[in-house]
Amino acid sequence: MENGSTKKKKWAFQGNPELNTASEITIRAVLAMLKTHLNQSDSRPVIPLGHGDPSSFSCFRTSPIAEDAIANALRSAKFTGYSPTVGVLPARRAVAEYLSQDLPNRISPDDVFLTVGCTQAIQTIITVLADSKANILLPKPGYPYYEAFAQSCHLEVRHFDLLPDKDWEVDLVAVEALADENTAAMVIINPGNPCGNVFTFQHLQKVAETARKLGILVIADEVYGHIAFGKNPFVPMGVFGSITPVITLGSISKRWIVPGWRLGWLIINDPNGVLKKHRIIECITQYLNISSDPPTFIQGAVPDILGKTKEDFFLKIINTIKEAANSCYEGIQDIPGVICPSEPEGSMFVMVKLDLSILENIKDDLDFCVKLAKEESIIILPGISVGLKNWLRLTFAIEPSSLEDGIKRIKAFCRRHSKKA
Amino acid sequence: MGTKEWKFRENRNLRTAATFSIKRVLDDVNRNLDRSDGRPIIPLSHGDPSSFSCFRTTQVAEDAVVDALRSAKFNGYAPKGGALQARRSIAEYLSRNLPYKLSPDDVYVTLGAKQAIEVVLSALSRPGANILLPRPGYPVYEAHAVLNHLEVRHFDLLQEKDWEVDLNGLETLVDDKTVAMVIINPGNPCGNVFTRDHLQKIAETARRMGILVIADEAYAHLTFGSNSYVSMGVFGNLAPVLTLGTLSKRWLVPGWRLGWIARSDPDGIFEEHGVVECIKRSLITNTEAATFIQAAVPQILENTTDDFFVQTINILQEDADMCYKWLKDIPCFTCLQKPQGSLFLMVKLDFSQLQGINDDMDFCSKLAKEESVLLLPGFVLGLKNWIRVTFAIEPSALEEGLARIKAFCMRHANKQ
Repeated sequence: MENGSTKKKKWAFQGNPELNTASEITIRAVLAMLKTHLNQSDSRPVIPLGHGDPSSFSCFRTSPIAEDAIANALRSAKFTGYSPTVGVLPARRAVAEYLSQDLPNRISPDDVFLTVGCTQAIQTIITVLADSKANILLPKPGYPYYEAFAQSCHLEVRHFDLLPDKDWEVDLVAVEALADENTAAMVIINPGNPCGNVFTFQHLQKVAETARKLGILVIADEVYGHIAFGKNPFVPMGVFGSITPVITLGSISKRWIVPGWRLGWLIINDPNGVLKKHRIIECITQYLNISSDPPTFIQGAVPDILGKTKEDFFLKIINTIKEAANSCYEGIQDIPGVICPSEPEGSMFVMVKLDLSILENIKDDLDFCVKLAKEESIIILPGISVGLKNWLRLTFAIEPSSLEDGIKRIKAFCRRHSKKA
Repeated sequence: MGTKEWKFRENRNLRTAATFSIKRVLDDVNRNLDRSDGRPIIPLSHGDPSSFSCFRTTQVAEDAVVDALRSAKFNGYAPKGGALQARRSIAEYLSRNLPYKLSPDDVYVTLGAKQAIEVVLSALSRPGANILLPRPGYPVYEAHAVLNHLEVRHFDLLQEKDWEVDLNGLETLVDDKTVAMVIINPGNPCGNVFTRDHLQKIAETARRMGILVIADEAYAHLTFGSNSYVSMGVFGNLAPVLTLGTLSKRWLVPGWRLGWIARSDPDGIFEEHGVVECIKRSLITNTEAATFIQAAVPQILENTTDDFFVQTINILQEDADMCYKWLKDIPCFTCLQKPQGSLFLMVKLDFSQLQGINDDMDFCSKLAKEESVLLLPGFVLGLKNWIRVTFAIEPSALEEGLARIKAFCMRHANKQ
């Protein structure tokens, strides 16, 4: 201890300056900030329409088969130790079989890498591609974790638009204009977060052809895979793996409503072996080698989770989400100042535009969300956090009665803030 | 379409980082196994005793996890940095070995100790900065230092002084860009346990140099020799300490991936220097431990009874004694120290006693092939021509393994 010394001790370490900006832009950080504006004396329940995690709602409880699978794997004491880097073989085999059902070419267990949620799958591919000077193309609006993590890896990011007037399709002309000799990949999120769209087969084919033309790979974030309830069926991007190499990211988090279990995957859809030749596969293994893994017993439960969950569980969840989506979309039609250009078809979200010309004293989307939190105890995500200022991202995956209540309160808020004629 | 026309390239820095991997080296050693050998493979190379039934975790831990799972309350995302109840109970648990109380805010839950290493190194990374790592050491530190563009400088552990830190050597390595030093206590790979005095000297040295101490205490409490475990956090008032820990080793559950970072920094130096903020932000851009496993932590830490811990220590002690006794009698092994803790010991190859063996990798490869026994060559830990032996397996299997090692060494003994 310094006895009576007034000289300040000099310490040589400091925090990493790069981390400062990267993490501020994540969704959870924005939602946490909005929560600080809630009115503590409002006795009404807070309605969360900003998150991506419906697991706390009883209508979204996971399948008991999934729970049993985990408990059994744990009790078996066969999965207490470290797993192989790429994941235990029975789990990888189960994931390969599960995904192959929707693909023209069967994928092998060697094409499957288990990750700690889709988050680590994203970390893996971003780190692997983050060679100096490389850049990656991301959708706008998108999922800001890509931006945050790319920044921490010094990987340059360029944005292409999703077109609200064309059901949020990729602006392929913009993609071609953005790409240069250092572009490594483009990311698509399908079913779409935040837009709630589901790409058509034809559009995905065009995406693949564009990527091939540019010599880049496609990272297909399919974490909301199969959560499609509109006119377009879900088509996995892997279908086009022979046109251009596709790396598919996914997890059990959304379809089984268990984001806290942290079990995801990174899949190689590349029948032409291009990625292998370019040492990308080796690099993926290397990254996972030095990083942490999903708990072994959770991996051990994967065959039963994927193989034994009954169809009626999935149908129940899809129907719940579909009804919520419809109710949300219809409710929005009556809200002054809020426009929904595209009816949601998939995932758990919809993007709506603010018409600030008819709202008074609302500066922008962030201001709208802060005031809404304060006055109506509703949390919605401002579009700026997903790349579209003056839009909002709404989650409809909550208890139906809460959703109804939420829509009513938003309507009341917008009426109250409408410009007097 | 030829190779030239695709634009993506692998991250070359990652390639370099990945060379620091025990798994890779073990995969290479494993490849030499003779599959036609009917005898069971004896793995004395890894850090995972849980595959042996004598090292099964306590029922308390399993029950805690199943209870949390079945409650269906923990299927959602946990807060970044860890669930409050987990942080609180870890703070209480660690405080039992400290002269002051840690608060839950001093604790961050990580995906095992491995992620704790990733997070801390990422939080400290700065252009031009360097970090001091022990040699021999644990290559995950080197891997993540490289990945985070931190220059690595190695200080020695002195075999002739019970593997203590070469403090004089340390001082020659430090400059104004040095951010931290790492110690691993109880020691992996050396099996040593630092005395309280030595830890204090380390803290005083760190203070003089203005650097923080990263104390990797994954093997905390796994001691069975004359030196008992003292937490580096005891000296947090001298130099700020980041202690890394995990359930993996003491509870024999490495596959569960539940670890932590604890700040021992009563003077608030980390806060002042932006390190706390950076750890939080590094956690935000990272994935995390499963929510229901975090929820089980209070029950696991509070309700595990001593007899489980005592039982584990007894087996480890029996293994350590047996291993030391056997290896002492084999002429090609030198510099053997009786292990005091952890699951490992280091031993040096005396090539004057061997023939037809080129180096540590060659020794381990041939041993795998001829005797189906797996050891870790020391080069991947920073000491070429040394071997790391994991003694933490079923005692009867260990005895079999040691007998085969002896047979191998005799067969390859230098006949002159």
